[in-house]
Amino acid sequence: MTLIVLLLGLAVGVLVGLLGIGGGVVLVPALVYLLHMDQHLAQGTSLFILLPPVGLGALREYWKQGQVDLRAGILCALGMLVGGYLGGLIAVPLASRHLKGLFGCFLILAAVLLWQKPQPQNRIAISAGEESARGRRSNA
Amino acid sequence: MVDGPMRDAGIFGAACLCGVASGLFGIGGGTLLVPFLALFFAFAQHRAQGTSLIALIPPTGALAFFAYAKAGYVSWQTGLLLIPGVFAGGILGGWLAKRLNPRRMRQVFAGLMFALGMWQAVAAWAR
Repeated sequence: MTLIVLLLGLAVGVLVGLLGIGGGVVLVPALVYLLHMDQHLAQGTSLFILLPPVGLGALREYWKQGQVDLRAGILCALGMLVGGYLGGLIAVPLASRHLKGLFGCFLILAAVLLWQKPQPQNRIAISAGEESARGRRSNA
Repeated sequence: MVDGPMRDAGIFGAACLCGVASGLFGIGGGTLLVPFLALFFAFAQHRAQGTSLIALIPPTGALAFFAYAKAGYVSWQTGLLLIPGVFAGGILGGWLAKRLNPRRMRQVFAGLMFALGMWQAVAAWAR
């Protein structure tokens, strides 16, 4: 049992580094289906795991390549802190069954978003954005 | 893309939305943040992922976590066992990200999530 949990953590971690996500999106269903947790318990446990900076090792790789926008990152962290509080308030009183269904819908949405990717014709806009981001940094 | 304060406000607003999803579904929020940054703020894929990872370094889910903990919805033991694995796996994943075709791997993962989401929604409501 302990071994399964340790291996599960490792597998989730690989996805964290590979896709730059928190891992909760994989963790929650894994806890529900593999460890037979209740939806609320799985979500609370997932939030607990994400408290320490589990992505730090992965971040190091991105940082070395200069693939981090620090200013945007800080803004995102602040926004997620505020939004997270609201989300928690909504989720706790919900029936587990509805929360599970909503989570399923969210996974579908997330899958669609993940599939999307800036199309080749957007590439010019992207490199322009990158350039201006670089310019701002060197001015700062 | 707009620059300056408008861009900052937009990013903050998008992150708030990701935060609601994070608290509501017990996830990190990066799943939404990465596509948001890429689609609306013209971040290249690797840059969006790196920025999402740095946004997840501070305990952004802390307030949501307290709401769950107060209601008794935390399995401490399982959580503690998962942390080292996620950390080590993250290093491996970051290393792999530089070597794999990101488009392909995201599509495989998206397909998996889509199936999982369908399964979970149906399992919850079709009774």
